[in-house]
Amino acid sequence: MSDFIAKEGIQNLHKPGEKLITTHCCYCGMQCGMHIRVNKSSGKVVGVEPRYDWPVTNGKMCPKGVTAYQTIDHQDRITKPLIKKNGEFVESSWKEALDLIEKNFKRLQEESGKDALSVFGGVSMTNEKCYLVGKYARVGLGTRYLDYNGRFCMSSAAGGFIQTFGVDRGSTLPWTELEHSDCFFLAGSNTAECHPTSIQWFWKAKDKGAKLIVADPRETPTARVADVHLDLKPGTDSALANGMLHLIIKEGYVDKEYVSKRCNNFEELKQNVDKFTPEYTSEITGVAVEKLIKAAHIYGMSPRSVVMFARGVEQQSKGVDNVRLYSSMALLRGQVGKFASGVATFTGQGNGQGGREHGQKSDLLPGYRKLTDPAAVEYISSIWGIDPSEMPKPGVSAYEMFGEIEKGNIRGMHVICSNPAVSAPNLEHIWNGFKKLDFLVVSDFFLSETASFADVVLPATTWAEDEGTTTNIEGRVIRIRKVTDPIGESKPDWEILSLIAERMGKGKHFLYNEAGEIFDEFRLATKGGKADYYGITWDRIDRENGVFWPCPAEDHPGTPTMFEESFYTEDGKANLGVVGWKEAGEVPTKDYPLFLTTGRVVFHYLSGNQTRRVDFLMEQCPEPFAEMHPALASRYQLEDGDMVKLKTPRSHMTVKTKITKAIRKDTVFVPYHWGKELAVNQLTSDCLDPISRMPEFKVCALQMEKLPAKKEGITRE
Amino acid sequence: MNKIMYLEFERCIGCRACQAACRECGDHDAKERNYVEYVDFTESRQTYPMLCMQCKDPACARVCPANAIQITDEGVVLSAMEEKCIGCRNCTFGCPFGIPKFDFEENKMYKCDMCYDRSKHDIAPMCASVCPSDAIRFIDFDEMQQLRRRRSQMNLVEGKKPQEGNKWEYVPEFFGVYTD
Repeated sequence: MSDFIAKEGIQNLHKPGEKLITTHCCYCGMQCGMHIRVNKSSGKVVGVEPRYDWPVTNGKMCPKGVTAYQTIDHQDRITKPLIKKNGEFVESSWKEALDLIEKNFKRLQEESGKDALSVFGGVSMTNEKCYLVGKYARVGLGTRYLDYNGRFCMSSAAGGFIQTFGVDRGSTLPWTELEHSDCFFLAGSNTAECHPTSIQWFWKAKDKGAKLIVADPRETPTARVADVHLDLKPGTDSALANGMLHLIIKEGYVDKEYVSKRCNNFEELKQNVDKFTPEYTSEITGVAVEKLIKAAHIYGMSPRSVVMFARGVEQQSKGVDNVRLYSSMALLRGQVGKFASGVATFTGQGNGQGGREHGQKSDLLPGYRKLTDPAAVEYISSIWGIDPSEMPKPGVSAYEMFGEIEKGNIRGMHVICSNPAVSAPNLEHIWNGFKKLDFLVVSDFFLSETASFADVVLPATTWAEDEGTTTNIEGRVIRIRKVTDPIGESKPDWEILSLIAERMGKGKHFLYNEAGEIFDEFRLATKGGKADYYGITWDRIDRENGVFWPCPAEDHPGTPTMFEESFYTEDGKANLGVVGWKEAGEVPTKDYPLFLTTGRVVFHYLSGNQTRRVDFLMEQCPEPFAEMHPALASRYQLEDGDMVKLKTPRSHMTVKTKITKAIRKDTVFVPYHWGKELAVNQLTSDCLDPISRMPEFKVCALQMEKLPAKKEGITRE
Repeated sequence: MNKIMYLEFERCIGCRACQAACRECGDHDAKERNYVEYVDFTESRQTYPMLCMQCKDPACARVCPANAIQITDEGVVLSAMEEKCIGCRNCTFGCPFGIPKFDFEENKMYKCDMCYDRSKHDIAPMCASVCPSDAIRFIDFDEMQQLRRRRSQMNLVEGKKPQEGNKWEYVPEFFGVYTD
């Protein structure tokens, strides 16, 4: 197997004394293809070269991707285990750190039972690692308390897809088909900033005349080029979607044959959306009636269309409902399971798709098997070599784990590849939880805000120091390559987990020498499950530009397009979403008269633990800001750059004002990539979706206050 | 080399990947030589990239008293030669697009060279390689012409086309280097 893969005729710049290693970016779900430049004699990473022949991204990269390699040999890397002594981190040996972990983990479990420990995982790592996190929690530690940061990211999409289609694959079509679509309906996605390299596909289609409809409270760089921008109030997506469904039915755009053959609940849906006239929808959403009608006609008339959505609609207390309703738009038009049309969500995290299929979720086992299904428990137990009776029961969701800490049920935690001290909502609650824990272990390669609470920090490797696979935004399983040896004494997560499991007396279940062995075990674990990876091998990934799951056998071609024949529900039919309109968990009041919504900027990724350490990215966007309309700013006598105090029922923070007309007049936007006093998640609401347990990051009620300008006298030296 | 750097401002998403990538070019000393600007952030998020026009008769080279700015056979206008540059900054004043940059510590000018180490092998410059929205492209002359014909009706200045004599007054849409 070669480290450098390029198709014939593709020219790359090979500098003398350097080699190129073919891999993918570590950040979002686009998983852009790239080659990393490595100095042949020193083995050091020196730069990046575009991977022009990766079919999904064609060599393109965003500024995060271009600079991703700079996090590998970064001066802030943790290179040795750290143990907190008298409030200060002290470098230690692996043996000392593991001794301490073993002692405390065993003590806590003896005192308070197996479930006193918990594991908080993440999905910005390979399938091999994500799979092992689940096995580590359930076999290594034997605890039921396991969940992951996908609860803050993808779980509403997963919940909505499972209810609608019977399976959760983020995209029903391969994205290389997008250029042949005629219309895109993008809801709650600022893809130009959050998945920048996807924008090429929308432009390819636009150049041939495709239309773009974007629903977003802000006129984002994505919405700016839309044919219709539905500038809805935060948290009103279910009304907007119902309004669109109403118009699709009223104007006769329903593909009746498809719906009668392949969908349930059409009559109920019809009845339910009856009252969502454009006028009523406009009243709730704040979107002009003409825009709704124009959008419905454009969408309805398009022969091939794709409905796409992202965190904007998912990070709500009605996230699952929103996903069901928007997916139903595609179903009514008969679009799902056909060429260049369908439904897709924009996966936020690098391996958001793969990571959620392999049993890091409190109620799931590998291959999207359910922990409540005795047959699944039996099968996975046989792979793991345990007795089915030893399999822990389902635990609670990520945010709710902190409630268990408060109650004293969880006393120890191992956080892997995640930074909930920045990315969780209502942060003071989270911080108090971390402080209350008897023992906290964090695996990371930078000292994150979460790691600063830890008793022991274990140095993990970055994505470039290990082999493995991830599953991209489309459901395509791709190959991540080892570019350099682990920096300092850092170890890949799977090795760390195996070492701790061994200390807990479970070493015989974790006998791995390399990531490839984990892949082989996990292929077997997914065999026969909904997310079946059994037929996928590392060789095939290289040969075939990645393989789409489900792929049950090595001679199976994989499944780029889902649902061509039938859906994964029991009766094989899709379930149309029949959901009424409900207010968000928190709505503006007299005291808190505005909407606060949060999101990303193009220069940072998730909690910013990586991107805040890259010079170029920090030069572009060093701190959060409160983005608002000039009409709103003038009501508060605010000018661009003024300091403003933002307050919600939970907490308050102070940030700079940034004024633009490209946002609703009743909404303030703050990006969430910073920690401590700069974390907007101190303010966000912990109202959870009843099914996906996703917090409502996108809507809370806000009070705003102008702060007096600091007197900055001119001092002369 | 018979390639064109083709810009389409409308597509720019303001991600500045072109600038990050510019720093990655091996000969660029980790300093970017291109620009991304907001048209007017208060009004909209519209941004646009600005690169060196690689002028046929470049003002920067003309006003250089030391003859430090060389033009390659392909027509690429290079950064001032280190041994010749006297640090007078005439080039930065002379360029009508404000392209050349000046390093006050090293006392020398530097500018976009279309990633000459790449483009001389017909490999796209870094900015054009990574631009996620194809706002910056490195394409064949023929492809440029084809795109140009299609774009002409949607030109930024409706009903007018910039002429050689007055093109500075317009926001330029494409430029390139040609071998005669």
